[in-house]
Amino acid sequence: MAELTYREAVAAGIAQEMRRDEDVVFLGEDIAAAGGVFKATEGLLDEFGPVRVRDTPISEQAILGAAMGAAMTGLRPIAEIMFSDFLAVCWDIVANEIAKSRYMTGGQMTLPLVIRTANGGGSRFGAQHSQSVENWAMMVPGLKVVAPSSAADVKGLLAAAIRDPDPVMFFEQKSLYPMKGEVPDGELVDTLGTAKVLRDGGDVTICALAAMVPRAMKAAETLETEHGIKATVVDVRSLVPLDTQTILSEVVKTGRLVTVEENPRLCGWGAEVASIVADEIFWDLDGPIIRVTTPHIPLPAADALEDATMPSADRIVREIVEKID
Amino acid sequence: MPQLGETVSEGTVSVWHKKVGDEVSTKEALFDVSSDKVEMEVPAPGNGKLVEIRVEQGRTVPVGEVIAIIQRDGEEIAVAQPTVSMEASSADDFLPSSAPTIAPAKSAPRVSNGSAANRDGNGNPLSPAVRRLVAEHGIDPAAISGSGANGRIKKKDVLAHLRGAPAARSLSPSRPRLAPRPMTGEDVETIPFNNLRKRTAEHMVRSKATSPHVLQAVEADFARVDHARRAASAAWKRREGYSLTYLPFVAKAVCEAVRDYPHVNATINGEALVVYRRVNLAIAVDLDFDGLVAPVIKDADEMSLHELARAIRDVSERARSSRLAPEDFQDGTYTISNSGVFGTMITAPIINQPQVAILSTDGITKKPVVIEGNDGDAIAIRPVGVLAQSFDHRAIDGAYSAAFLARVREIIQTKDWTAVLD
Amino acid sequence: MATKPKAAAKGKGRTKVSPKAVALANDDIGEVTRLEMWRSLLEIRHVEQRAYDLFLQNLIKGTSHLALGHEAVATGFATAMKKGDWSFCTYRGHHHTLARGASMEGVLGELMGRECGLLQGKGGSMHLTSVEHGAMGSYAIIGAHLPIAMGAAWKAQYKGTGEVSTCFFGDGTTNIGAFHEALNMAAVWKLPVVFVCENNFYMEYTPIGDVTAVENPAGDRAAAYGLPKIVIDGNDADVVYRTAQQAFAKARAGDGPSLIEAQTYRHSGHSRADPAKYRPPGELERWLKKDPVPRYRDRLAEFGISKDVIDGIEEEVLAQVDAATDIAKASPPPGLELIAKDVWADGGVAWRN
Repeated sequence: MAELTYREAVAAGIAQEMRRDEDVVFLGEDIAAAGGVFKATEGLLDEFGPVRVRDTPISEQAILGAAMGAAMTGLRPIAEIMFSDFLAVCWDIVANEIAKSRYMTGGQMTLPLVIRTANGGGSRFGAQHSQSVENWAMMVPGLKVVAPSSAADVKGLLAAAIRDPDPVMFFEQKSLYPMKGEVPDGELVDTLGTAKVLRDGGDVTICALAAMVPRAMKAAETLETEHGIKATVVDVRSLVPLDTQTILSEVVKTGRLVTVEENPRLCGWGAEVASIVADEIFWDLDGPIIRVTTPHIPLPAADALEDATMPSADRIVREIVEKID
Repeated sequence: MPQLGETVSEGTVSVWHKKVGDEVSTKEALFDVSSDKVEMEVPAPGNGKLVEIRVEQGRTVPVGEVIAIIQRDGEEIAVAQPTVSMEASSADDFLPSSAPTIAPAKSAPRVSNGSAANRDGNGNPLSPAVRRLVAEHGIDPAAISGSGANGRIKKKDVLAHLRGAPAARSLSPSRPRLAPRPMTGEDVETIPFNNLRKRTAEHMVRSKATSPHVLQAVEADFARVDHARRAASAAWKRREGYSLTYLPFVAKAVCEAVRDYPHVNATINGEALVVYRRVNLAIAVDLDFDGLVAPVIKDADEMSLHELARAIRDVSERARSSRLAPEDFQDGTYTISNSGVFGTMITAPIINQPQVAILSTDGITKKPVVIEGNDGDAIAIRPVGVLAQSFDHRAIDGAYSAAFLARVREIIQTKDWTAVLD
Repeated sequence: MATKPKAAAKGKGRTKVSPKAVALANDDIGEVTRLEMWRSLLEIRHVEQRAYDLFLQNLIKGTSHLALGHEAVATGFATAMKKGDWSFCTYRGHHHTLARGASMEGVLGELMGRECGLLQGKGGSMHLTSVEHGAMGSYAIIGAHLPIAMGAAWKAQYKGTGEVSTCFFGDGTTNIGAFHEALNMAAVWKLPVVFVCENNFYMEYTPIGDVTAVENPAGDRAAAYGLPKIVIDGNDADVVYRTAQQAFAKARAGDGPSLIEAQTYRHSGHSRADPAKYRPPGELERWLKKDPVPRYRDRLAEFGISKDVIDGIEEEVLAQVDAATDIAKASPPPGLELIAKDVWADGGVAWRN
C-alpha cells in the first residue's frame, strides 16, 4: 500500500496500462515534455518516449479526432483535454462522432479510447476553467462517464477505462489533484459502472461524485455528531453505466435521497438519479428528495464567491438539517 | 434506560428506590421500570454513589437514555450535561416522551394512493413510504405519532408503531383526542390505567389493526389426556409440588402439529412470511386480574411433556411475582392462551404481534359424545374442550389453519399420553 | 468492382490501338485500370441516378446528397488505393463508398431504410460506411472527419503497417477550424494522410468565392502547412488517379500528408430539397461539357478501346443496378430489435445495471 496523490495516481494508472499494452498511446497539450499543466502525467515521456506520449498543438478537435481515428483502426488512445471546459470546442468529435459512430454503422466500429480531462471548481480559475461538465457527457448516448474521488479510484478506474472497449470520458476533479490517498500496490484494475458505499447510516442517503464526495463525508460526520442524523454516503463514481442497484438499495434503506452535485442546478446528474428514484422506489421514499447543487450561474472566480457557490460540507449539513424532517 | 427487550424501545421509571446521595450497588434494586411487556427491578450497574437522577418517576424515556449518574468510588464526575445516545437518530429522540396514547378505535381506513386523505392527524402529507406501509398494514395514520417536523409521520414511526412503540415524541402539540366522556360522582369509580394496562390496550388495538383476524375452533376429546393425567396426578403432585394441568398436553400437541404446519409459527416481514424453525411458545398468564403477560418458553418443540409442564409452571410463577426478565418476553413465535380454569367454552384470542396465530384453550367439561365403532354408533361421556385459533389472514388461509387445528386435535385424541408421561 | 488484378491483362487489346492512341502510347495507366475506372464511374453514375429515381417514387426518405458530376474524384482515388487503405468522406459520400467496393444494394437499401442497407438502416444516406472495404465512414458534420482520418494515419505510422488514410471533403470545409487543426497536426507529425478537397464551387447554396479569402479554397491554404499547392481537374479520372498515386507514394514513403484540390461540379442541387436555382444561367451547361463520364468514354475510345467493350460494361452495370434495386425493394424494413443494439462494444445499449 503506497500513499499517492490523486495526480500521481493518474500517471500511475496510465503507466500501468502502457507497460502492459503497446497499443496504448497518449496525446494532448503539454502532457509529454511538460508533464501536464497539473503535473498529472510526469514521467510518462521518460518511460515511454515521444512516439507513445505525444505533445499536440492547441487543437482539441485534432486531438480527439486523432484519438478516434486511431481507436477505430486498432489502437487504445488516451487523449487529454486540459480543462473540461475546452470540451466545448471539440464537442462535435465527442458527441456526434465518438459517441454515435458505433451505433450509426450498425456496430461496424469499435472505439476503445479514453478522454481524460481536468474538471470542476475550487481553484479560483473563473467560469471558463472551473466548470463541472460531467453531466454534458452523461446525456449523450454512447459515452461512458467516470469521475473518481480518490487516488485509488483514479488508478483503478483509469486502468479499467483504458481496457474498456468503449469510449470513456474520465473526469478528474482538479482540486483533488494534491489529495493523498492509499493506493494498493501492484496491478490495480477497478470495475466501471460501480458505485461505492463509503459510509453506512440509517437516516439519509447522500449520493455524491468526485470532489463532492469528501465534502459529503465531512458533512455526514457533522450530521451525526451535531445533529444525530446518520447518513449513508454513496460515491457514485460512474455516471454511465450508472450503478442504480447500489443507489436504489441504499435509498430504500433510509427512505431519503440527497444528491450533492457540483454541476449547476439544471439537468445536473442528480436530477437523473432523482428521477430514477422517484420512478422506481417512490413508495419507499420517506420525504422529498434533496438536491444540493451549485446555483444555476457561471462559476465566479474570487475565493469568497466560489466558496459560497459550490456545495460545501456546511451547506450540505444545513440543507439536510433544514429539510430532513 | 436498560434494554427491555428486542421489540421494546422505551421504558417508564415507575419507582426510584434510591435518592441522590445514596450508596448504590449491583446487589440492590435501584429503580423499577415498566414497559408494555415487563415490570422489573433494576439494580445499579456498578457500585458507587447516586449523584444525579435525570428521569423522574413516571417519566418514559427511550432505551439507551441516561437516567441517572452513578459516581464510582474515587471517581470525579466532571460533566453534568446530559450525554446523548448515539443510537438515537434525531434530536427528537432525546426529548422525553409522554406516555403513549391510544387512538380511538376506529376502523383502519383504506388508504389509497393519491387520495386527499393521505394526511396524518396533524394535517401533514404522508410520505410515499408511509402511505405504502399504512396501506399494507391497514393502519390508521392518525394512530401513529410522528417524530418529524410538526408531527410529520416518518417511515420509522410506522415501523416503530408496528413494533409496538412510538419511535419518538412529536415536537408538535398532540392533536385533540377523543376520550371517554368523563364520569364522576358517587355511582362511578374511575380507575386510571396502570402502565401494563395501557400497554396491553395499545398492543391489542394495534394487533387488531394490523392483522385481519379469523377465528376457527375445533372440539377435541381429551379422554386419553385425562386418563394419563389422572394416572400420574398423585405422583406428579408429590414429586413436583403442584398439579399437572391440561395445558402442557395442549402445548405438546401444538409443538408437534407445528412440524406439519409450520406457517402458523411465523411472522410477516413486508411481503414475506418468515417461518421459524423452532417453536418459542408464549404462554398468556393472567396476573390475578391485574394485567396479562405472555412470557416465552424457548425451544418448546424440543421439550418433553415434563419439561413443558415445568417451564409453564416456572414462567407463570415468575410472572405473578414480577420476576420475569426482559429476555423472557423475547422471540415468541406462537402463543397459547388458557382461560380454561373458569370453564369458558370458547374464547376468540387476539394475536400476540408480530406472530401470526394464537390458540385459546377453554374449559374441558364432560359431554355426551357419539363414538363411531365397528358395531355402530354409541354415546359416551367424554371430557371435551374447544381449541380456538385466531390467525392472521394475511399469512395463511382458513384451510391451512383448519388443517393445523385438526392435527392438534388428532394428537390430543390419539397420542399414547400415558406412555409419554412414563 | 475493382477486383481484377491490374497487371493481369497488360497488352490485351493492343492490336486495336488507334493511331491517336499510339501517340499516347507511353501510357502509365493501362487498359485494365482504365476499364476498371470506367466501370467505377458508371456504377456511381447509375446508382446515383437510380437513387434520384427512387426519390421520385418516394422510396427514399429523408435527405440525400447526390454526387452526380463528382464521380471521377472518387474513382481516381479509390482505384489508386490499396486494399487495407482507409477512406473517409462526407455526407455526400455515396460515390466514395461505392468506389471502395461496397455493394449497390447495400447503398440503395440504406437510402431506402431497408434491412439490406450497409448500416441495416441505422445510419441512412449521410453515414454510409463499409469498414470491410476500408470505407471508414461518411461524416455529416463539416470538418469532423479530417482529424479522424489523421488519427487513422497516426495508427499506420505508429504501428508501421503502411496504410494510407484519405479524407474527402468539400470546398466549404476549408473554412472550418477542424480543417486547419487536422492539416497542421498531420503536417507536424508527418502522417500518411491525403486530404482531398472536392471543390464544386458551392458551399451548400453559396458560391465558395463569396465566403473565402483566397481563390483556391484548399490549394491556397496548403502553403500555411508547408505543403505544395495541388489543384487538379477533378472531372478527369486519369488526372485524379495519377495525382492520387503520387500522394500515396509520398505518404507511404513517410514524407507526410498532401492536400489536393480537385475541381468538379455538382450536376444536381446540394441536396434533395435544392433545385439549385442560385446557379447563373449557362454554368451547368458549361460543366456538363466536362461531365466526367462522357469524357472518360471518349478517353477510352482515344485509347482504342472498342465501343462494344465500353457499352458492354455499361450494360452490365445497368443490369447490376436493376438487380440491386430489386433486392433493396424486396428487403424488409429493419427489425425493431436493432434499436437496442450496438451502442456498446458488447452489442447492447444498457446505461445502468
